[in-house]
Amino acid sequence: MKNFTYVMPTSLEQVVELLPGPRDLKTRDRVKVLAGGQDLLGELKEHLVEPEQVVNLKGVPGLAALTQQAGAWQIGALATLAALEENAALRASHTLVAEAAGSVGSTQIRNQGTVGGNLCQRPRCWYYRHEQAVCIKKGGAECFAYGGLNKYNAILGGGPSYIVHPSDLAPALVAAGATALIRGKKGERTVELERFFTLPSEGAVTRENVLAPDEVLVRVDVPAMAGWKSTYVKFRERSSYDFALAAVAAALRIEGGKVAEARLVLGGVAPVPWRCEKAEKALVGRKIDAETCRVVGELALEGAEPLAHNAYKLPLAKGLITKALTKLATA
Amino acid sequence: MALEPLKFQDEKPPRPAAPGKKWIRVTKAVNGIDTEVWEEVSDDAGGPQWGPRDQMRLVSRAIPRVDGPDKVSGRAMYSSDMRLPGMVYARVLRSRVPCGTVKLDLEAAKAIPGVLAVIALNNGNIDWLGRPIAAVAATTPELAEDGLRAIVATYEEQPFAVTPEQSAAENAPKVNSRGNVRTLSKNTDSSEVDAALGKAAKRVQGTWKIPVQHHASLETHGVVVDYRGGAEATIYASTQGTFTIPGDAAGRLGLQGGQVTAVVEHMGGGFGSKFGMGIEGDAACQLAKELGRPVHLMLDRATEFHAAGNRSGGEHTLEAGLDDKGQIVAIKGRVTRHGGVGQGSGHPIPYIYGRDAKVFVEDRCIHTHTDSSRAMRGPGHPQASFSMEALMDECAYASGLDLLEIRRINLADNRRELYMRQLERCAALIGWDKHPFKNAPDLSKSELKVGIGFAIARWGGGGNGQCKVEVRIAQDGSVEVLSGTQDLGTGTRTYCASIVAEELGLELGAVRPRIGRSTFGSANASGGSTTSPSLSPSVKHAAHNARLALFEKVAPLLGVKPDELAVGLGEIHVAAKPSQKIAWKDACAALGPAGLSAQGEWQAHLASSDVGGAQAAKVQVDTLTGEIKVLDMVAVQNCGLLLNRMAVKSQLQGGMVQALSYGLFEERVLDPDLGLFLNANFEDYKIAGVREIPRMQVEFEDDPRGVIGMAEAAVIPGHSAIANAVRNACGVRVFDMPVTADKVLVGLEALRKKG
Repeated sequence: MKNFTYVMPTSLEQVVELLPGPRDLKTRDRVKVLAGGQDLLGELKEHLVEPEQVVNLKGVPGLAALTQQAGAWQIGALATLAALEENAALRASHTLVAEAAGSVGSTQIRNQGTVGGNLCQRPRCWYYRHEQAVCIKKGGAECFAYGGLNKYNAILGGGPSYIVHPSDLAPALVAAGATALIRGKKGERTVELERFFTLPSEGAVTRENVLAPDEVLVRVDVPAMAGWKSTYVKFRERSSYDFALAAVAAALRIEGGKVAEARLVLGGVAPVPWRCEKAEKALVGRKIDAETCRVVGELALEGAEPLAHNAYKLPLAKGLITKALTKLATA
Repeated sequence: MALEPLKFQDEKPPRPAAPGKKWIRVTKAVNGIDTEVWEEVSDDAGGPQWGPRDQMRLVSRAIPRVDGPDKVSGRAMYSSDMRLPGMVYARVLRSRVPCGTVKLDLEAAKAIPGVLAVIALNNGNIDWLGRPIAAVAATTPELAEDGLRAIVATYEEQPFAVTPEQSAAENAPKVNSRGNVRTLSKNTDSSEVDAALGKAAKRVQGTWKIPVQHHASLETHGVVVDYRGGAEATIYASTQGTFTIPGDAAGRLGLQGGQVTAVVEHMGGGFGSKFGMGIEGDAACQLAKELGRPVHLMLDRATEFHAAGNRSGGEHTLEAGLDDKGQIVAIKGRVTRHGGVGQGSGHPIPYIYGRDAKVFVEDRCIHTHTDSSRAMRGPGHPQASFSMEALMDECAYASGLDLLEIRRINLADNRRELYMRQLERCAALIGWDKHPFKNAPDLSKSELKVGIGFAIARWGGGGNGQCKVEVRIAQDGSVEVLSGTQDLGTGTRTYCASIVAEELGLELGAVRPRIGRSTFGSANASGGSTTSPSLSPSVKHAAHNARLALFEKVAPLLGVKPDELAVGLGEIHVAAKPSQKIAWKDACAALGPAGLSAQGEWQAHLASSDVGGAQAAKVQVDTLTGEIKVLDMVAVQNCGLLLNRMAVKSQLQGGMVQALSYGLFEERVLDPDLGLFLNANFEDYKIAGVREIPRMQVEFEDDPRGVIGMAEAAVIPGHSAIANAVRNACGVRVFDMPVTADKVLVGLEALRKKG
């Protein structure tokens, strides 16, 4: 990696002070924030980013806090994935979040990796990760995956980039209705997590979220889910440690054997966590059976446009939806 | 005139052997006819024998490796662990393009403080992707990396072919002056096979594709060259052949072979890819010579993937013609090897099966602008097994025959007994008798489905006479066994000690094995499973000679002749009167300050060759997701004398894991348009992890032969059994490895559409 200066501020004021200005879009990567480092170190070693300064967030007190009040959770950006995975109360109230955290990488990665880092991590697309492939994500003209080897790429929401968002927590937290607390030079703002992530056709194609150059993700707030049952079902090609080929974050409120409310978000299939609102609406009033699963699967994948090597993601995602819904109905 | 076969006078010796004696069969002319007779001789006459296995204490038992604690605690020193005074770190720059020329400007790199030397490694012509073109030495690894990035490489890129499809296309850029697609087999006349196919009752065919696999050794290729000028150098090498290093290094350093010592204390895996110095070793020598300082050069992981070899991929188009009883009468095939700029190992088709069948195989290779394949554990056999075992199962399904029955019918007479015994044992271990889908795949609509598959392997595994071993006994009773051989992690060091300890009546810990140094006795390189059948007889011989030499010294102390002595645990006694004895330490005290030294060489009769094994796999396929979960793998293997049951079990299990990983995950991925290696890392080049490992059962067939190498046989059949089990479970035949969920899902959709 290229040499950089390393600083460890002790307050959020100092952190945002060190960041570029809100409009310094072209020079924003001169400063990178470091949390667990599980993604940033790889990016540095592969020379995908060459910052002049790395700002370690771990000197800021309180950022790793994980607290609950009346069933609602505040999750600090520096809380580790292991902390989420191992929290019994979180697992009981927001099963999908604990399951998603537990499905990330390996034990070592979960011990080190943080919630903020997991949500803000960069894509795993092998073209993006190859220093020599200057793809559209890195300021180039072309998404090489589009006409290339795209087994692991997007079937929904793609264009002009076809990455899939790599986070497991993102679909789970979006399904849980979470909001993101963001701190910038001008103060704090709150964004629904679903709006935090941006499609390549909407926001800057070289980014995956709404963070401005002067901003840092500070906390995720998750509302109470009393009466809900939820799960995160992830398919890994190699179950020991792998990113999702496809994943389903599902939450249901069932009354009298029928779905009263539903949330369904797909991971691993689109550049953002893919909320399936039509499928959610269709679920309401139905009982979970084979026909419901079929209908919901069709609606969830509506509009999918597979590339040359990833049509399998359609039956895979539908299969995972069936598994998730069946699991919740029988839990 | 045909010789009469030897006749045995009696099946068993006439009576039990006297103490210190043994019965041997010798050939004698009795009434003018060569006859074998029993003769009672001194236990030591006729050289060393492994002896009765039920009386062994250490050999043929399960013993933990002597270097295990060093390895798990980190005390073991690998080449990459070496740190020497004044040592510098080197890195290698690889070509970014598959084909073309490059001009290097090294000045900016040389100008970096701490960068000590920058050298070009070839003349600027690039004919494969990732070919090393320059090397940098610096005071730290980070500065060496900075140096690499400061080299200005100006490429003139030419059209390339990094995939076989590109290379075989019309107007493809030329890769090899003899042609991109070369037919290696001589026979072009398939008329006899065509005729037999024409008359066959059934015909079964398919085209199987095999990806390029990587050795993926945890320790990358590399050396530490300790040369500070002068007439001597030491090379710490991660190699499978201690003695492949000094000559190579001497040439680079301008020394004589005898002036270079190779040290291979521990090495982190090679699997066939680590013989000789390689480009990286040459670069390290050049840099050491230029700087007069020790140079540490281990490849980084990406360069290891690009430029340190691989298992050749391939494509096999096979057709079998069957008679109405399920016997294959004809096999026609086109076998194409993908070996990069090399031609790849031969894929021996037809593999084992196909007795009496008419066979025509066109053997070809397709060259690409990628590095040459190298030998890899069982070269060619796992590839051949994959298509052949699949073909066998398809023949069974086409004929409505049990998967074991099709194998019985098509194994040669001299192989049938062995393999059917092993296959039936595998079947019993994996629950074949209760499995409902023996002659047709499960085509039901259930969500979770279970299938079973079988496959077999053969390997030579014989030894040869390149090893010289020394056993030293010191006056204080300490014992050392010395050989220049290397331990690839297979347990070589352990059996060096255990064989000597067994022979001398000592505990394992009383013998210190010293290996991995070219100043010790010569030894062969570890390839083709030849190490144990070559080395262990030599160790046994040296230990045997040491014992006889010690008996010479001890006999006068006990007032008997040397051949009247025997060893007990920690003592030497009179064979006929064990109470007349001398303790080990007291016996050695008689040796005088020089102690004794005995030499050993290869003893053909202590080794043997030719192993066979069978494996079976049980998998569960989730038809909703395509997930393949291997539930069980079983192996039955014959292998002569087992030097260490624990190590052989580990070898088999390791082979099964490596084959599982090959079958389900591993694949080199190159972008044909960009000419980029997309998964030259351990994230995207997927290797099985702990959660992928099934229940495993391993059984040995103890047979009376001497020592045989079986390490390669272990890796040959597993992936084939798994692919067959997937087909058996859900009806989907995945023709191209790795067998992954996406291919199963696509296959299931196709089956559904077919109805």
